[in-house]
Amino acid sequence: MIEVRHLKKSYGKRVVVDDLTFTVRKGGVFGFLGQNGAGKTTTIKMLVGISNPDQGTITIGGKDSSDLSMRENIGFMPEAPYFYDRLTGLEFLSFCGELFAKHKSRSEYEEVLKRLGIYDARDRAINTYSKGMKQRLGFAQVLVNDPDYVFLDEPLDGLDPLGRREIKGIILGLKKRGKTVFFNSHILYDTEEICDEIGVIHEGKLLYSGPVKKFCDGWPLEKRFVETIEKQFVTGNS
Amino acid sequence: MKNILVIAKNTFRETIRDRILYGILGFSFLYIALSILLAKVSLGEIVILKSFGLAGIYIFGSIVTIFLGASIIHKEIERRTLYFVLSKPVSRLDVVLGKFLGLFAAVTLVVFIMTIVYLSVVLANGGGFDAPGLLAIFFQTLEMGLFTALLVFFSTIATPLTSTIAAVMILLGGHSISSVLRTASQIGGPLYRFIQAVYYVFPNLEKFNIRNIAVHNIPVPGTSIILTVSYATLYIAMLLYLANFFLKRKEL
Repeated sequence: MIEVRHLKKSYGKRVVVDDLTFTVRKGGVFGFLGQNGAGKTTTIKMLVGISNPDQGTITIGGKDSSDLSMRENIGFMPEAPYFYDRLTGLEFLSFCGELFAKHKSRSEYEEVLKRLGIYDARDRAINTYSKGMKQRLGFAQVLVNDPDYVFLDEPLDGLDPLGRREIKGIILGLKKRGKTVFFNSHILYDTEEICDEIGVIHEGKLLYSGPVKKFCDGWPLEKRFVETIEKQFVTGNS
Repeated sequence: MKNILVIAKNTFRETIRDRILYGILGFSFLYIALSILLAKVSLGEIVILKSFGLAGIYIFGSIVTIFLGASIIHKEIERRTLYFVLSKPVSRLDVVLGKFLGLFAAVTLVVFIMTIVYLSVVLANGGGFDAPGLLAIFFQTLEMGLFTALLVFFSTIATPLTSTIAAVMILLGGHSISSVLRTASQIGGPLYRFIQAVYYVFPNLEKFNIRNIAVHNIPVPGTSIILTVSYATLYIAMLLYLANFFLKRKEL
């Protein structure tokens, strides 16, 4: 389970995340939705320990996010990732794998690449990979330690329809294996297909957290999302 | 410790595949070839050959260090490749130490290659095995280690361009600070005290320069070697501590 309590983060005087509290149940897919600049990436960076909150607590699998050992059990893919271009795919994956206490053999890393369909390119430099291949390599380093908790920042962004289908398939596959998936997105149509629960963030504040069906209430997710955000604008202006 | 070595190995691998490195190495070989020609037209040719050879290793080693080191951490922050690393059970100190060791290993490899060429050229020109020259190169490598740590530090707080400019200024200042202090001591007053303060903070890079001694086969006392190694170690430790201090506080 992921538990976030009263999370707050400011950059200078600007409050970017304001008193976030939500829970992500184990084994589910949680979509964290919001417009650009809403605070999604800041939140996910705090969850995986790249950034420190000003206030609040984050617990993942019973461990505080500031505990380095917590990261043995998580995988994270940043938005639009860059890689070490002069490394090969296998070298990069091995590098990521070796940073964990329990790392694998070369053949096990190759298995991960096979599962993601980039085995044939394992000995090619990453700067020769297509965007879709890089996205899959990003996923490979997420899965290299077989984590229980997977964090993805905009995993569907910039992909063509076939690429999005592949990534959605991977996410659903992770769910089948009992992994907990937390991902940011502003692509609502795809999110609706794969999420069990969602959180909606706007200007750093959490507007909703819970089952996606309850939020949608029979309407398309995008319609309900826009309505919810617009209501905030009206409330803010009145 | 394990993660430091993993990051160091990755940094080394990435660095030695940078094409700029091969360009600089190529120029260094050209330089050595030119120095052989120059030595042939001079009297006392072996001293000239050694002087130019050691100076060449120093110049090209410094260029490699600055080129590769100026953006070592800044690039990872800008390109967010650091996110891959810091989302794993890796501390920011591991990153600082790993980056330093990896880059220093790459610089040492470059110096090693140039040293092999230099020693072969000196041997082939009747200079025998140049042990004092080897000591001079060891001292130069220590200086490059200090510079690598300096660039890792700058890389956590400044852009690559600023880091490069600052590094070049420190390179020039570090070799002239002793003579500036000597001149200031004759003037005295607040200026002397200011220069004295700068002298103790600024890295005194002349400590690592024994090229003139080496080419004339003058022995270097053991205590001098120990003091220089200690100075480099302490300065490197201080710079890496500062790099970690700033990286820990940096919002990524």
